[in-house]
Amino acid sequence: MRILLVEDTRDVGEAISRRLEKVGHTVDWQTDGQAAADILDFTDYDLVILDVMLPGLDGFEILRHLRTNRKTTPVLVLTARSEIEDRVGALDLGADDYLVKPFDFRELEARVRVLLRRRAGDPTNLIECGDLVLDRNSRSVRVGNREVQLKRREITLLEVMATRPGRVFGKDELLDHLFGFDDGANQNAIELYIGRLRKKIEGSRVRIVTIRGLGYQLVADDAA
Amino acid sequence: MKCGTLATLTAAIVLSVATSAMAVEGARAFFPAVEQERGRLVVHGATDVEAMEPLIRDFQSTATDVAIDYTDYVTNDLYRDADAACRKQENFGDILLSSSVDQLVKLANDGCALAHSSAETEDLPDWANWREEVYGFTFEPSVMVYHKDFVPPEDVPHSHGELTDLLRFKPDYYRGRIGTYDLRQSGIGYLLAFLDAQQASTTYGRLLESLSRVEAVLRCCNNAVLSEIDSGNVFIGYNILGSYAYAAALRNPKLRIVLPRDYTLILSRGVLIPKGATRPDLAGRFLDYLLSDRGQEVARRKAFFFSRTGPLPDNVDGPPKLIESGIGRPIRIGPALLAAQDQLQRSTFIDDWTRLLRGSAGGKTP
Amino acid sequence: MRREPSLFSRLVVRVALVLCGGATLLAVAAWYYARAAADDAYDRLLLGAAIQITANMTVDHGNLAVALPTSAFELLGLAARDRIFYRVIGPDLKTLTGYEDLQTDLDLTSARSAPVFLSARYRDVPVRVVVAARALSDPSFSGWSYVVLAQTTEARRALAGELTSRAMILVGIMSVLALAGTVLAIRYSLLPVSALGAALRARDPQDLTPVDVDVPRELRPFMASINHFMGRLDERVTLLQRFIADAAHQIRTPLTALSAQVDMLEEDEMDEVGKRHLGRVRKRVGQLARLTNQLLSHAMVIHRSDSVRFKPVDLSDIARKAFRAAVPITVDPDIVISFEAPPGPIVVLGDAVSLREAIANIIDNSLRHGTVSHLAVRVVGGDGRARVEVEDDGPGIPRSEWESVTARFVTSKTGEGSMGLGFAIAAEVASAHRGAIGFQEKGEHGFTVIFDLPAQVEGAR
Repeated sequence: MRILLVEDTRDVGEAISRRLEKVGHTVDWQTDGQAAADILDFTDYDLVILDVMLPGLDGFEILRHLRTNRKTTPVLVLTARSEIEDRVGALDLGADDYLVKPFDFRELEARVRVLLRRRAGDPTNLIECGDLVLDRNSRSVRVGNREVQLKRREITLLEVMATRPGRVFGKDELLDHLFGFDDGANQNAIELYIGRLRKKIEGSRVRIVTIRGLGYQLVADDAA
Repeated sequence: MKCGTLATLTAAIVLSVATSAMAVEGARAFFPAVEQERGRLVVHGATDVEAMEPLIRDFQSTATDVAIDYTDYVTNDLYRDADAACRKQENFGDILLSSSVDQLVKLANDGCALAHSSAETEDLPDWANWREEVYGFTFEPSVMVYHKDFVPPEDVPHSHGELTDLLRFKPDYYRGRIGTYDLRQSGIGYLLAFLDAQQASTTYGRLLESLSRVEAVLRCCNNAVLSEIDSGNVFIGYNILGSYAYAAALRNPKLRIVLPRDYTLILSRGVLIPKGATRPDLAGRFLDYLLSDRGQEVARRKAFFFSRTGPLPDNVDGPPKLIESGIGRPIRIGPALLAAQDQLQRSTFIDDWTRLLRGSAGGKTP
Repeated sequence: MRREPSLFSRLVVRVALVLCGGATLLAVAAWYYARAAADDAYDRLLLGAAIQITANMTVDHGNLAVALPTSAFELLGLAARDRIFYRVIGPDLKTLTGYEDLQTDLDLTSARSAPVFLSARYRDVPVRVVVAARALSDPSFSGWSYVVLAQTTEARRALAGELTSRAMILVGIMSVLALAGTVLAIRYSLLPVSALGAALRARDPQDLTPVDVDVPRELRPFMASINHFMGRLDERVTLLQRFIADAAHQIRTPLTALSAQVDMLEEDEMDEVGKRHLGRVRKRVGQLARLTNQLLSHAMVIHRSDSVRFKPVDLSDIARKAFRAAVPITVDPDIVISFEAPPGPIVVLGDAVSLREAIANIIDNSLRHGTVSHLAVRVVGGDGRARVEVEDDGPGIPRSEWESVTARFVTSKTGEGSMGLGFAIAAEVASAHRGAIGFQEKGEHGFTVIFDLPAQVEGAR
């Protein structure tokens, strides 16, 4: 994926670039606001990471410029300004997410991933199964009024099983869905995710049943 | 002053009764209590016991446990003894009654009286009360009395002036036929004469001159003059107290009473509680009784006949409304009477009077 | 401590004392003048009577004669209750008539020029005496004769008493009126003081703008002092907040850089000791970052509580946003984190930014110091209250520390490290919204922090 990073602090810019490039993204790093704005005029990116305090044009100006050009490129704003209204302002101007400096770089990476995914796929947002509602956008599963946060792979796992309730999925099959064919993931990982999912949908009438030797099955206890 | 019996004493236990026209000092009457005696009131009065008796009896019917010891005095004696007792701070009766109110005023002025006030004393007019010490309890006009048989209607005088004129025009007919007090003997006579002189000095001077000219008969006291009229020796009596005159007129209907229409002096008999009284409480009760409506009514009917509030008695020739018309001149009980009591004044006045009435005309005395 | 009496009672008591003193002085003066006036009035009567008596002195055949005029006694009789004593003395100093024992210490000759008055006692009663003299000249008789005339003083005392008591009634009425007037006037005058007090009481405790109340001139220095003090306090507070915000900001950039440097360290190439140290550095940098954020957050909520107008906002929505912001994507996947809110909005009157900050801090606190495997955030409405409950399955906070953790920079001794400003921020916001932070001990549920606010009343919108 192609990411534009606008950040004037060397140490920070370098760390972000290195971390994102390490997971396979292409990062264009700009330190000047005006230059960044110019680039954005003729180049499309999958994501823009924008610092607010910049020489030349500040982050907000770039954001405003971007949105007036009707570009829907996701924007993650990094802010360190002492003006207290920054965070609100950023969201109002159409930022998709923000992080306040100093931040955890792993958190930055996770957020970038979410923003890119949201951009790439456009999956059905809501999947219902029994009294469970799976919300992909907010990465949560709802039982009644209670929503429980899920991880990306947990969502995928639940999604796979919930689209075909009653069907028995083998561990290998689920492993393919979650990790593809790469990575050194083993079947123990599936047991881990199933265990987590079971805890997170506790209280629901939907259960994940283990069928020894075969795999797992989602059962909606409508009768219960 | 005590000159003789006014009425017949009937029921009282009389220790000593004055029968003579002359004063008898120390005449005493004792009225025992109707029931068990719990208190004894000693009354010293210069008023006939006969006149006081109905009042005393009626009082005792309201205060049944009170006995009354009454002693009769001549006014001058009463004053003399009361004054002496006061100076020596001795007891002299519980209550004093006297027609010579000037003497009672003098006693009060000299600090010999106890004050007493009650609901009854409140209603009294000012002229009948001095310092709540001396009260006037009777209403006695000074009147003229004539004998109907000897005085033709056209001669009847209705004022001091008419009397003077009558005596001037018919001196011969009335020579020796006019009777009045002898000031030398009568305290009340002196007081009335003195006040006459104060009221209208010119009229009084002319009257005195006329009296002198007709050789007026001078007597010690009211009853002496009245008995002379009764017997026909005297035709007209001047300055007689209405109460005595009316009592006499009741006995002899030919005696007629006239209240002078220019002015009529009105004497209020005085009552005083002396400082040395042993029973001032009883004295106060008796005093209240005398001033009460009940006491006044008994006095009007049985003792003194005239009253402050009631109408004139029957057959009395006088203005119907004595006080309101201004003709009646009550003798104000107050310090002005001290002038009459001044010894020098008194002797000078009496000397002048005597010289005029005795010296020139040589009026008769009994 | 002795209670300081109120201005009102001070003034009233003092004015009443002055009035009492004045009334007493006036009473004494009234009595004095009344006596003098009564004596003067009755002395004239006495003198008139004495003159009448002297006028009636005549010489008759070489003898002094006096006819006491009744009118003289009538004149004296105007003092109705008073007794009269008199004595007429001839040139030979012998008593001509009257009370022979009526003596005076006076040298009679002194009365020759003018009548002499004196007060004395006779027969044990106080009397007022006048001595008047008359020169008689007749061929047969000549010399001075005298009248000593005495009158008891009952009427004088009665008149003096009556005049005094009338004056006293007037003085009394005036005093009462003056006191009543004073009370009213003082009450009226002190109204601005109570008004100022009420204005100060009615003020928002965080409002440090100058007091703008019309006060009388006398109170202006006082008010100026208050305003001066408030101004300085405001300056200090603003300065402090700005300092905190500036300091936070100044720290941020190098801190982010530091964090970036730490992030770039290649963990894989380190030995065990190196990795352990790096882990510690990472952790400390994280703490520092968080504390910095909280300082800014704290400065922000305090600033906003002074300056932002409250609006009706949906607490559920705010709590959800706070929840999303506070729970990092990188959170331990084994933790069950749930959010629960009723379907409809729960409206409170407040500042959305501050509220979100407060709730986010509570959740963050729970995640860092409480949560083991469960974190539940619930929004609950009802009974006129709106609550956000944050429940975790951690050890909780001992009851004895509940009060202190909401104070700034208090470290829970049982917890690890500093709790920081999280609860202080939440408590600050809660109290600015007339609400409070509460705790519920671990029981059937886990330990719960309750952010409790009054709900917006339906009709009040």
